[in-house]
Amino acid sequence: MSISLTRKHFLGLAGATLGAAAMAACAGPSTDGAGTALKTLSPDEWSKVKPASSISFMSSHPGKSRDTEVKLIEAFQAANPGIKVNLITGGSNYEEVAQKFQTAQAGSEVPDVVLASDVWWFRYAVSGAILPIDDLLKAVGVSTSDYNPGLIGDYKHSNQQWAVPYARSTPLFYFNKDHFKAAGVPERAPATWEEFAEWAPGIKEANASSSGYQNAYQYPAIAGYAGWTLQNVLWGQGGSWSKEWDITADSEASVAAMQWVQDSIVKHGWAGVSSKNAITDLQAGAVSATISSSADLAATLKAAKEANMRIGVGFLPGGSAASTQVCPTGGSGLVIASKTSPERQLAAAKFVTFMTNAQSTMALSSATGYLPVAEAADISSIVAQTPEFKTVVDQLKVTRTQDFARTFLPGGDQELAKAATKIMNEKADVKSTLTQLKGTLEGIYNKDVKPKLKA
Amino acid sequence: MGRSNTDGASVAASTAPGGMHDRVRTENRDAQSSRVPVDRPPLAGIKRRRWNRRTRKDTWVFVAFAAPNILLILLFTYRPLITNIYYSTLDWTLGSASATAVGIGNYVEFFSSPDASNVLGVTAIFTVTTVGGAMILGLLVALALNQRLKGRTFARAVVFAPYVLSGVGVGLVWLFIFDPTYGVLSWILRGVGQVSPQWVNDPKLALVMVTIVYVWKNLGYCAVVYLAGLQSIPTQLMEAAALDGASNVRRFLSIVVPLLSPTTFFLLITSLLSSLQAFDIIRIMTPSGNGTSTLIFDSYLQAFGSYNRAGYSAAISVVLFVGLLIMTAVQLRFVERKVHYS
Amino acid sequence: MSTETTEAPPNRDRPFSWQNLGRTIAGGYIPLLLATLVVFLPLLWMMLSSLKAPGEIVTTNLTLLPKDPNLQNYADAASTVPFARFFLNSVIVTVVGSTIKCILAVFTAYALVFVRFPFKRVIFLLILVALMVPPQVSVLPNYVLIAGMGGLNTYWGIILPGLGTAFGTFLLRQHFLTLPPAIMESAEIDGAGHWRKLWKIVVPVSVPSIATVALVTIVSEWNEYIWPLIVTDHPDMMTLPVGLTQLVNSDGSTQNWGMLMAGAVIVLLPILVIFAALQRYIVSGLTQGSVTG
Repeated sequence: MSISLTRKHFLGLAGATLGAAAMAACAGPSTDGAGTALKTLSPDEWSKVKPASSISFMSSHPGKSRDTEVKLIEAFQAANPGIKVNLITGGSNYEEVAQKFQTAQAGSEVPDVVLASDVWWFRYAVSGAILPIDDLLKAVGVSTSDYNPGLIGDYKHSNQQWAVPYARSTPLFYFNKDHFKAAGVPERAPATWEEFAEWAPGIKEANASSSGYQNAYQYPAIAGYAGWTLQNVLWGQGGSWSKEWDITADSEASVAAMQWVQDSIVKHGWAGVSSKNAITDLQAGAVSATISSSADLAATLKAAKEANMRIGVGFLPGGSAASTQVCPTGGSGLVIASKTSPERQLAAAKFVTFMTNAQSTMALSSATGYLPVAEAADISSIVAQTPEFKTVVDQLKVTRTQDFARTFLPGGDQELAKAATKIMNEKADVKSTLTQLKGTLEGIYNKDVKPKLKA
Repeated sequence: MGRSNTDGASVAASTAPGGMHDRVRTENRDAQSSRVPVDRPPLAGIKRRRWNRRTRKDTWVFVAFAAPNILLILLFTYRPLITNIYYSTLDWTLGSASATAVGIGNYVEFFSSPDASNVLGVTAIFTVTTVGGAMILGLLVALALNQRLKGRTFARAVVFAPYVLSGVGVGLVWLFIFDPTYGVLSWILRGVGQVSPQWVNDPKLALVMVTIVYVWKNLGYCAVVYLAGLQSIPTQLMEAAALDGASNVRRFLSIVVPLLSPTTFFLLITSLLSSLQAFDIIRIMTPSGNGTSTLIFDSYLQAFGSYNRAGYSAAISVVLFVGLLIMTAVQLRFVERKVHYS
Repeated sequence: MSTETTEAPPNRDRPFSWQNLGRTIAGGYIPLLLATLVVFLPLLWMMLSSLKAPGEIVTTNLTLLPKDPNLQNYADAASTVPFARFFLNSVIVTVVGSTIKCILAVFTAYALVFVRFPFKRVIFLLILVALMVPPQVSVLPNYVLIAGMGGLNTYWGIILPGLGTAFGTFLLRQHFLTLPPAIMESAEIDGAGHWRKLWKIVVPVSVPSIATVALVTIVSEWNEYIWPLIVTDHPDMMTLPVGLTQLVNSDGSTQNWGMLMAGAVIVLLPILVIFAALQRYIVSGLTQGSVTG
């Protein structure tokens, strides 16, 4: 009896929900198979467009750059009195900005200029959320040759330019000079990881007595882009996550490199993995060395000075197979949303080129530690102020393009991090973890990328 | 009147276990008053017309009183729910303007991939340990609070306080405490010659960590509700049992526990619902969901994390919703039987 | 009513007898003290840390008390993000949102209990099931709707989707059902309409329950995180919990825990104060909802 009653009421409820279904607006994606084709104007047409009077810029203010961004925007508005830029906060990191931007695609208001990290811009390009900007750059009188060739080259896909470099960084080797001194090793970054492996036991022993000391070396937190910094170790030993679209995460060299990483933690015990922020662990004196983004340079040196700690920086160490070109670039560029109007896109183009011109990039570099992206940038004044900055710029010359598996596969970076967690935190078998990783990455490629790459 | 009343009582009792008899009585009243115009034998013409007029007027009053709220619920809870079911049939990348209809493909993928066992396992562990932990500890605290002790009002307020705090703020504070390098917990452990566990890096410990924090936050709620349950137990009953020579443990097990069972049931249901929807703490403490991907958090990560799989995410959230619905339906049945027994 | 005692002589629980003293302390005060400390100490740690300098926090040589307690972290937090503005936004959203929600809940619950209507149970079930819809489910569809209506970065955009209140309606309905029929009958004889019955009889005798709903609503509005996060991207419109996460800056940047703890204090303290002032109602009301009806 009671069952039937319950059912009756559920039926009534179903009726009511059907009514609600009728109210459901038909917003969301279209399923007719024909995604709206991108409208791009020809250079001639761009020249006739009048820039919009107001645009928005969505950023996460990377490297605590909010103040700098505000100042740069003021300078832009002074130089372009007709355009007002609205700085919006998309979140506190690249992923949160991406989440906001992707969500915005479902609605009617998208931001005009968006900060896009190395692992996001390609996805935006493939999904049609952003514009190719070759013609736009021409329309505002800027050439791609005005930028550092490597940094702007990162944003090329199917012979089109999709972003300009903005807050670009490389990883740096940070170390505690006092700890190195106590162990009697040279106060410099090691040339190779093999060299560091020789130093490490001594460094750990010399400092073990200080309270809370943990390890000679701290791997960056897995959540903090482990796939990015681990490329350094992989490349040094001749491995990689991938070669172009060919997944090589389980190659012999890659397995050996990741095994070396696991051994440094588990077998030799001189390395650990940060749970949140390796550079903070270094500042706490709990570890003697780590790798972190150059974006941390200014803040780290400042904190070290306050804490009476001597911190040095150097190139990323090489490995047994390669001693140079073992450093990936990273960070973010600026993209222009496609779902707006030509007027706003033109204003956006003016804005992104202003934010990345020689003067602006210098301002951002000196406030953070990001790379100067414009060829015309003169870094001598920054180096005079922060001598360590020279290391950042010098290392840029020996960088290597990141593995496609990380930057171009949707969710690829996340999969790399998952595998790294298993190997580094859960002591999982390296070979089988990487074989499984390869399978997952190939699955992503075949499903989400391959169909969208037109020849 | 039997049918509707039974049902009405079950719904009410399911949500408010104490004072069953009271409950049934008041429900009856409600049912009667609402059914009077229908159930009563036909009255004299004038009177009936008055009744009808009143009923019509009441209908309008009801609409005026309830419609705004109900429309809002339909628009912002049910409409999204339906839309979500539709999304769950799509292969749709968040941010993309087009999608492919895949029918039940997302559901098939979820249940056939290793994700399902992992996510369902984490969800089960998190739910059982948080609900169980908060309820058992809550009962113990309630027993302590139920004694005539000095400062118990203050203690009751303090214990309950975390329940009202922002999950975001609480998560940050605890993350700082748990940090293996400079967290105060690692400092205490060092003091006794131990090395701090890797709370964040080890997926198993990460789950333990968020469970501890969640229990910390919700323990007070269980304690206060249990306390009320304890206080509604007639003291004569306890005294009579004491005179009979029953020991404390026996009194607790044979009198208190059974009498508390409606309270326990109420807590079980409300805690299960909120545990299955726990989000803020997990999001703040383990943003990548390493070891802590419960159904609701995995659904969030699939759409808004690195994968942008909005359709797949919708399917997971539908699975969660259906789970919650089934639990509630079971609860309706179960409590109904309990009411008949009592 | 101690749980662990197995001593044979059954003695009545006279709280202050000598025989009982030891047991009272072991079975009463110690668990109570323990529970209080477990709750209190983490919050104390947050307060202490917010008064420390960065060097005293990011270190493995912790000192419990700040060497030179100062409000620098609060100043830093306020200069990094507009905390005063977040605070104002949270207050506006909470006050407006919970006021409307409470009014809606009172009206709906009254209608469900005291007004004749054919589909009342279906509607009640509809409200009950709404409690089971996980909030994350509605994020994307609601975003599309609100953004389409131009509600991004507006107060109404933050408030509107949460206004329909299933919980408050539910709790108040349960309470209204327990009101003695006599008081309604007397009003009925007076020929009072629903409007008068609601305001002159039902509301005055239900103040504690309404206060409970109000406080629970205030708490949830103040702490709401995911929706304001999605619907605001301008710092001038963010609420406190959203703003707090803006202090966590990433791309590797150093965590300034002192500043974060200061932010956490700003978020947690106001609600703690409100709670301390009104905890009697929250506690008694919730209890009422669960036990006596």
